[in-house]
Amino acid sequence: MSSTRAEVLLWAQRVMSRKGSPAHTILELNPSSTLDDAQQAFYKIARIAHPDLHRNHMTPEELELVTSAYSTAAGAYQEFRSSTQRMKPATTENLAAVGAAPAAPPRRAAGPTTPPPSGIPAGTVDQQMNPRALLYYRKAEIALRRGDFKGAILQIKMAIATDPASAFLRTALAEVETELRKGS
Amino acid sequence: MAIALGIDLGTTNSCAAVATPTGVEFVLGQHAERVHPSVVAFPSSGGVVVGQDAKRYRLTEPQHVIHSAKRFIGQNIRAPLVQLALTGIRYKVVEGPNQQPIVVVRDRRMTMPEISSHVLLHLKRCAERQLGSAVADAVVTVPANFTDAQRTATKEAGRLAGLNVMRLINEPTAAALAYGFGRNQDQLVCVFDFGGGTFDVSILRIKGEVFEVLASDGDFFLGGDDIDRALAEVLAAECNRVLRFDPRQHPVLMMKLMMGAEAIKCHLSDNDAAEGEIDGIDLPNGQTGSLPFSLTRAQFEELINGYVNRTIEVTKQVLAQARLSPRDISDVLCVGGSTRIPAVRNRLADVFRKQPNIGINPDEVVAQGAAIQAGSLSGSIIQGTGMGARDAVLTEAHSPLLHGGARAQGPLARPVLLDVNPSTLSIQTAGGYAEHLLDKNSPIPIERTKVFTTARDNQTRVEIDCCRGESRRYAENEPLGTLLLENLEPKRRGDLKIEVCFKVDADGILHVSAADPDSGSRQEASLQVIGAPTEQGAM
Repeated sequence: MSSTRAEVLLWAQRVMSRKGSPAHTILELNPSSTLDDAQQAFYKIARIAHPDLHRNHMTPEELELVTSAYSTAAGAYQEFRSSTQRMKPATTENLAAVGAAPAAPPRRAAGPTTPPPSGIPAGTVDQQMNPRALLYYRKAEIALRRGDFKGAILQIKMAIATDPASAFLRTALAEVETELRKGS
Repeated sequence: MAIALGIDLGTTNSCAAVATPTGVEFVLGQHAERVHPSVVAFPSSGGVVVGQDAKRYRLTEPQHVIHSAKRFIGQNIRAPLVQLALTGIRYKVVEGPNQQPIVVVRDRRMTMPEISSHVLLHLKRCAERQLGSAVADAVVTVPANFTDAQRTATKEAGRLAGLNVMRLINEPTAAALAYGFGRNQDQLVCVFDFGGGTFDVSILRIKGEVFEVLASDGDFFLGGDDIDRALAEVLAAECNRVLRFDPRQHPVLMMKLMMGAEAIKCHLSDNDAAEGEIDGIDLPNGQTGSLPFSLTRAQFEELINGYVNRTIEVTKQVLAQARLSPRDISDVLCVGGSTRIPAVRNRLADVFRKQPNIGINPDEVVAQGAAIQAGSLSGSIIQGTGMGARDAVLTEAHSPLLHGGARAQGPLARPVLLDVNPSTLSIQTAGGYAEHLLDKNSPIPIERTKVFTTARDNQTRVEIDCCRGESRRYAENEPLGTLLLENLEPKRRGDLKIEVCFKVDADGILHVSAADPDSGSRQEASLQVIGAPTEQGAM
């Protein structure tokens, strides 16, 4: 028993020290791991480290550490799931119901999209956005200041080509496109 | 040792149980009933009456009898569906602080958690009388699609009843636990939970002691109550035609028709037709009339077809979310009283091409699962993580479906519930988008941090608008509240980093914090969810 407890605490410390790392690092997998690997890894974590298993024999501080580590691992597992397509093909039976599934993100904003009056944070940027994309984005800003919407759109599109995952850039593009439509 | 109770706090009925070394024992009421109506009466004669006895006041003073409080707990009173539900009740509800609904009985103002706490206190007292020892801890079940505010409010109700709510677990998950605990099998099950007020479907994978929810969805405003109301409307129209008197303006009479409708509904589950009359209808001319009715099961099924269609539609959606086909499911568990309706079972059999499991008691299985989880969390049924073989023999009785052929093999471990977050949680970003932080159906407890930045130059404060829902556009989702981060260092747009952390704990309750990691002064702000109970209570 005591060895399990020590192992779980060591694992929790490892996870917490890797916070902010890519999902596979947190789940202690290699970068080429599949969703199945991630699921197995998470199941193993759940069976050994789920906080409910330890609530009666750990101090509150230890339990908090294990809960945080477990929650972080769950977040990493979710990241895996949302970024990987499951291999199993959809059957015709459940295709009928897919209409209710969330649609693809809109590329273009519908309706007015002027920035809201209060400051709200814009989409993810910097940490994952690569420097080249940021460079294009800065060029777009310069173009915008000149009032050159078309130039700005081109630069943002270049940025998106370098960093297709960035929600921040997508949003920026939609905003500028709306501005352009309003202007013309 | 203090006892940990498992409580199924339902819309119409509640049920409580405790795990003992020999099995699950149900908490009985004064009349030895296992199922306790979730009804709280404040009669003119004074005092508070709960459960079976409170139901008696429905006909004499309906405005003092609070039922279906679960439909309003933790809700924003301005939400359209809440407004609609309010038209179906006979007691007075007004808007309180933070847009929460407040019950008014005579000159007393009470929050919904206060009302529910009376039900919980009643169950606690019954348990203490029956078991002869104090009850300190409890596991309370909630619908899988309960929001953060509804969960917070339910915990608050437990606290007001003097209970330490160790955990809130989802009703379908509790049912699956009662079904699968100790079976030691690997299978996919669908839990179809159609109760008095809410409807939930969950798909679970049960692998040994791990219960993983793969997908879950539901409709919070769909249940047996709606069926009763639809039937009562038919009876009211009939009353208007036959007796030339519209009962819809008379609360007492409508309540009588609702009760009649409930009886007809239950009768039609076992019979092909219902015929009879509702007596004691007070007419405006001072006389008392009676309303004859005659309804076949086919007519009844046509009436409720819309509701049943909706449940089947959600079931198909959940299967799609889990990326499974109906054939993959090895067992369909029927939970909740409304699954007794033959039309519901037949439609389920059509979808899954097999008969749903009717070997479980739809009214009791959720409390059973809650009791197992309560026993496990408190360590009273299973000591430590590796349970001894002796304990395994004793706990076999906890699984209500364990038959001679399905004995557990080897020692049992403690059950591990991998429940999920019921809906996507996001924040608003520039352009009115919703940036997803936690996805629907991701395992809980979970924590995720994302880094955001400012949308304008020299911004010193940001408002982080949080919402729940699946749309990519913020305005199409349900707002949860706003978090304010102030005194930021003025920087160019895009240069300032803001870390937003979403945490959903094992109870399914959301904690949002935001910090500016560079300024060193790590500001934390937490979210006050709209509709959630506030410090001021009902005043």
